[in-house]
Amino acid sequence: MTWLTDPVDWWVSPFADNPFLRDALWAALLTVLCTSVIGTWVVLRGLSFLGDALAHGVLPGIAIAFVTGGNTTVGALLAALAMVAGVQLIRTASPLPDDASIGVLFVGFLALAVVVMSAQTGRGAGDLTRFLFGSINAVDAGDLRTLIVVATVTVVGVVVLHRALLVSTFDVTQARLIGFRPQLTHFALLVLLALSIVASFETVGTLLVFAFLIAPPATASMLVGRVPLMMVVAVMIGSASALIGLLISYHHATATGATMALVTVIAFVVSLAVRSGLRLARR
Amino acid sequence: MRMILKFRRSVGAAAVVAALAACGDGSGSTDDDQDAAARIVATTTIWADITSATLCGLDVPALVPPGADPHTFEPSLRDREALEDAAVVIANGGGLEDSLTDLLSSVATSGTDVVELVPLVDTIDSGPGHDDDHDDDDHDDDDHDDDDHDDHDHDDHDDDPDHDDHDDDHAGGVDPHIWQDPLRVAGVLDTIAAAGEEADEQQRNCANAYRAELEQLDDEISELIGAVPIAERLMVTSHDSLAYFADRYDLEIVGTVIPSTNTLAQTNAADLADLADLIEERGVRAIFTEELESTADADALAERLDVLVVPLVTDALTTAPGTDTYLEMMRSNSTRIAEALTP
Repeated sequence: MTWLTDPVDWWVSPFADNPFLRDALWAALLTVLCTSVIGTWVVLRGLSFLGDALAHGVLPGIAIAFVTGGNTTVGALLAALAMVAGVQLIRTASPLPDDASIGVLFVGFLALAVVVMSAQTGRGAGDLTRFLFGSINAVDAGDLRTLIVVATVTVVGVVVLHRALLVSTFDVTQARLIGFRPQLTHFALLVLLALSIVASFETVGTLLVFAFLIAPPATASMLVGRVPLMMVVAVMIGSASALIGLLISYHHATATGATMALVTVIAFVVSLAVRSGLRLARR
Repeated sequence: MRMILKFRRSVGAAAVVAALAACGDGSGSTDDDQDAAARIVATTTIWADITSATLCGLDVPALVPPGADPHTFEPSLRDREALEDAAVVIANGGGLEDSLTDLLSSVATSGTDVVELVPLVDTIDSGPGHDDDHDDDDHDDDDHDDDDHDDHDHDDHDDDPDHDDHDDDHAGGVDPHIWQDPLRVAGVLDTIAAAGEEADEQQRNCANAYRAELEQLDDEISELIGAVPIAERLMVTSHDSLAYFADRYDLEIVGTVIPSTNTLAQTNAADLADLADLIEERGVRAIFTEELESTADADALAERLDVLVVPLVTDALTTAPGTDTYLEMMRSNSTRIAEALTP
């Protein structure tokens, strides 16, 4: 109960005493900013599965870049774009429903990543774990700079695309009538999504970025109705989750990225429980 | 009716508060007061033990806890704090602490002295099954314009000589298990001793005493292995961890179950079939496994070929007596190896 009984010691001292922890918090908050904002649209447009597929689909890009000595960020981006293109291709070429086409590519990309990493005997296999789970406790100035850039691009992109996204999410025909181009809007959203995922894999890793993408916006959608407010609430919930997760991970020596992800999901469950409870109470 | 509804609401709220309270429980923050920051930290239990003995029994904590595998260990925020607070970190290097490289380079830029031991000794390249072409191309620093992955690292590369060596090791495919040769360990004792706070008489005596113990260990092992007929000195190991031991004591590592110096790599059917043929051809008597890993592949192989499976403790110390110090671990392994190989 020390977080209640001795608040300064539990909440403040770790940050006051450890500069790397402050950096880790900044990295987490910037990640939350990107992913919650994009994640709101992902949740509203039913793109969660694609979001998850992209988060894992960057792995072969990273693996191949690693093995050929190239830039892992570029590799990750290329893989993400390849997956987006692939889904589009399968969608036009076959009558399969979207989830099947995404699923097929998802597992294919993942398997490719494992094959590539295993073929490389020994060296570097540890780095794959790092991409999966992130290394937020090794964050430094360069990582923060990247995150600031991506966060800015993401937020600006979402603001610019706001009306187009709003209309095309709820009524595609209307969007076209007004003069928007829903296909292009969709593509732009996916590019921003890919960008956020790639930027976040340093901090929380590709396996866990999905939690930040989906859980805070999902929680926010249960609490408020209007989209801009939903984004703000998602960022607030995500930030609180990241802060609490970071502190719990510090005090109890648990895996940092996973703890933060767990807190976002707990926040969702608690909100759901409270909301259901309130609903029952009103009857 | 309203009373029941209010009750439900308050039960819900109480449950939430109780859950959050349970989260906060634990001795986490009280540990802060009790842990005085250790001045010297080692990455593995083996180096922690060696450093401690060299520095007259100083308490040297190991980052990777006993029984955990340094190849796969995931560092926590507390670990980073321990590294930041320490003045010196004794690290093996050469790619052993794969998952700690980011951490060590970040920590090196904020004032902690990271001492890597692999660059200080005569190294052996990673064993058979290692693709040399692949390494030369892929780890060439010119091609390594890995902006995101190494944005922070590139600056460090220039400033931190330890980290540069680390990269060279990557390129050369060096085997990091240098502690398997007591004489190589004796060779780095001076560097370790230099990490101590005072370079006084007592310090030197402790270092010399330990060096003498290492030399005695070396004699003992030479005698044990020397008693094994040369034709029988054939070993198959779990992963490529005993090359330095084999080099020093004139044994031959015929093959490894995992063709790598890293426990993270996976086996495949073709390699295992080749290994089985090799074992039969050369008349290998035993497969030496490590306590830290799954022995499924080794066990299956041994059963099929009717050879012994001998567990060793090679990559980390344990808490069990007999393998809780470096000297004991080496004695225990050598005895088992000699026994298994003697017809």
